[in-house]
Amino acid sequence: MYAALLSNRYLTSRVIPLIAVGAVALCVALVIIVVSVMSGFLDMLKASGRTLIGDVIVSSGIGGIPHYDEWLSDLRALPEVEEATPVIDTLGLLRMPYPSGPSKEIAPVQVWAIEPASFARVTAYGEKIWWRPPADEAARETMLPDDPRLRMDGSILRDGLTLSQGATGKPGIVMGMHVSVGNARQSDGSYRPRFGWFMPGEDVTLTVVPVSESGTISEPRDATFPIVNEVFSGVYDVDKSRVFIPLAQAQQLLRLDAAPLYDTTAEPDAEGNLPLLGTTPARVTKVLIRAKPGVDALAARDAVEASWDAFVAKAARRSDRLGRPPERVSILTWEQQLRDLIGPVEKEREMMRILFSIIYIVCAGLILSIFWSIVIEKTRDIGILRSVGASRLGILWIFLRYGLAIGVVGSLAGVGIAWVVVDNINLIHEAIGRDAPRAAWITTCALSVLSVVMALRSLVWRGRLLPGLLWTIATVTLGIVTLALLGHRGTLIWDPSVYYFSRIPSQVDWFNAAITVGGGIVFSVIGAAIPAAKAADVDPVEALRYG
Amino acid sequence: MADAEQTPPDAGTDRSGRPPSASTEPPILAAHEVHRTYRFGQVEVPVLRGASIEIGRGEWVAILGQSGSGKSTLMHLLGGLDRPDAGRGTIEFEGRAVNLGAGRSLDRYRNRDVGFVFQFYHLLPELSVLENACLPGLVGGWFGHARAAAARRRAGELLEQAGLSHRLRHRPAELSGGERQRVAIARALVNGPRVLLADEPTGNLDATTGASILDLIAAQHAEGLTVAMVTHDASVAARAQRVVHLRDGQVVEG
Ligand SMILES: Nc1ncnc2c1ncn2[C@@H]1O[C@H](COP(=O)(O)OP(=O)(O)OP(=O)(O)O)[C@@H](O)[C@H]1O
Ligand SMILES: [Mg+2]
Repeated sequence: MYAALLSNRYLTSRVIPLIAVGAVALCVALVIIVVSVMSGFLDMLKASGRTLIGDVIVSSGIGGIPHYDEWLSDLRALPEVEEATPVIDTLGLLRMPYPSGPSKEIAPVQVWAIEPASFARVTAYGEKIWWRPPADEAARETMLPDDPRLRMDGSILRDGLTLSQGATGKPGIVMGMHVSVGNARQSDGSYRPRFGWFMPGEDVTLTVVPVSESGTISEPRDATFPIVNEVFSGVYDVDKSRVFIPLAQAQQLLRLDAAPLYDTTAEPDAEGNLPLLGTTPARVTKVLIRAKPGVDALAARDAVEASWDAFVAKAARRSDRLGRPPERVSILTWEQQLRDLIGPVEKEREMMRILFSIIYIVCAGLILSIFWSIVIEKTRDIGILRSVGASRLGILWIFLRYGLAIGVVGSLAGVGIAWVVVDNINLIHEAIGRDAPRAAWITTCALSVLSVVMALRSLVWRGRLLPGLLWTIATVTLGIVTLALLGHRGTLIWDPSVYYFSRIPSQVDWFNAAITVGGGIVFSVIGAAIPAAKAADVDPVEALRYG
Repeated sequence: MADAEQTPPDAGTDRSGRPPSASTEPPILAAHEVHRTYRFGQVEVPVLRGASIEIGRGEWVAILGQSGSGKSTLMHLLGGLDRPDAGRGTIEFEGRAVNLGAGRSLDRYRNRDVGFVFQFYHLLPELSVLENACLPGLVGGWFGHARAAAARRRAGELLEQAGLSHRLRHRPAELSGGERQRVAIARALVNGPRVLLADEPTGNLDATTGASILDLIAAQHAEGLTVAMVTHDASVAARAQRVVHLRDGQVVEG
């Protein structure tokens, strides 16, 4: 009873403990913001990374996997596997349709040749196609009037899903959103093409280099594709460099299609033909697998591996040596595949958590020193309380409660701050990215002038040093802020090319927030406990005699 | 000393060295052969050397003595704020030793059985007059809402008796010394203790204000409160029924 009364009174009757509340709030907010952004980043990495690779990824060397069709049907028959899709990945150069002169820009790209129908069943490819009419009225509502998607019909989405130009029937290319410079992301998150032209429909030329099974590099080959759509995965690295073309075209370009094989060492026959050795089967370099719902990626991986071993064993019994599967393939779950992307971020998050947890100790120390001086100041009051019958535990509880109150109020305020910041982090980031608005520095400038006046008033007229000093500090701070705002030329802190994503995650990680709040409270109480124990040890007679 | 002359004649009859009712009733509060020694490093300063005092039920005793004679020390022992040297003397309240129990029982003793008034009022500056007066009622229970309400009522009554009902919401700093001491007396009495221990309650006040404080104590005494009061001032001691002196660490009657 009296403990509550007194700790509340102590909390509200002085300014210094409010500094402790502020410190706890800032610490908690800082930790929550950092960990939330990192966690959100991790989640985005995982989710987005996963969207375009499925659950299990089988990759072979450049030679590829022959007779992949057979294996795919084996895989599809597995109870763990929902769908499997073949992919060829290679590097290429893309001749862009811009600028308008004869010399065009060349973009290095990572080519994924896919079977769009099965690929869309394994990955979220279909959902990541950007240019499409709004699905429903609700989606239409979210778009701004100048969003080009509002004027589109379903054919553009169909072209993207089939990787072919509906009008001409030509095989088409789907590019990552950031491959072309024409796409400018708006702050609302949508893309509106710059310069008034629009990529879909333009032709691009893709140049790739076929590499033989033995590693011999052949002459580069090229093909022209109309752009039929673009994908936006959210992973900047992917969106910056990935292009999709139909599998059949890629097999031809890269000489991975089924072809007769002649014996080049033999003499040509009378008609000039070399003796036929056999047929090299068509190959792909990757197989992506989607697990059945409810099947764990690791379990699916194991099933895929067993299936691969069976496939290799079956192929070994085959007579044609050309169709031998490669010695080694890597079979990874999506998480393992993204390991080198996710791992460092996870480590970084732990590092941050540990580093920022040190702040708690600072907080606890601050509370300790504030409380220590309060206990010394209040020694007489403690003696009074003891003299009217308060127990040592009662005295202890006053200060623990006081620390608890600071911890709870501070931590909750911290959560509030963190929530506001995290929720608006992209706005804040964009504001930092722009030049400071004139109003901002005019305001701070005006405020600093005001505080000069206040400082002079306190120092000269009233002759008071403390308010004078405080106003002077305010003046200097505001002056520095004004200069900083004036000099601010817009810095992008969250560089999408470093952080893979073009948006900063803006979800508070509530689980971690709860842990952080718990930590804030615990450390506040720990900080309070030491002075509280001292208070409990106060000898009432001594306290009253000298108080 | 001038004490004896100023003692009213009615009190004089009780100056036998024993409380008036001693023969019939056991004392409410007593110290038996208590020793209290302070230590400065190697040097030992024995302040109380076998001091004994018996305070009868409903009695008003004044304790006089020179500065440094150990009056406050004795009061602290009687009030359960301090303990005698280990094994050297006992303090008995209603026949039971209070200084031997655990800290908890001593806390309870201070809270319920005795009320303490100090020379320097010792009010909590953050609390209002009413809250200060309630304080002992709030101590000693975590969820004592009913008790707190009762304490509030009783504190209101006591403050009204002390003529402070218009200042309940004021902070101690806004009161005069005499007013503060009235609040302190209300606080000491709020839990309805049997004994009031006052250590120079008027020592910091002018004569008129001091007299009004003593009137307040006298009113409570008339209602049956036992009072032990330390003072320097013979005219203050004259208000008591019995005067004892503390000399050489011992209580001397008369
Ligand atoms: N904590 C302590 N340590 C050492 N000596 C102490 C301590 N407390 C009191 N003393 C000494 O004990 C003696 C008695 O002190 P006490 O306060 O009881 O005297 P007093 O009779 O109340 O004096 P006064 O009339 O001035 O209030 C004094 O000499 C004092 O210096
Ligand atoms: Mg004294």
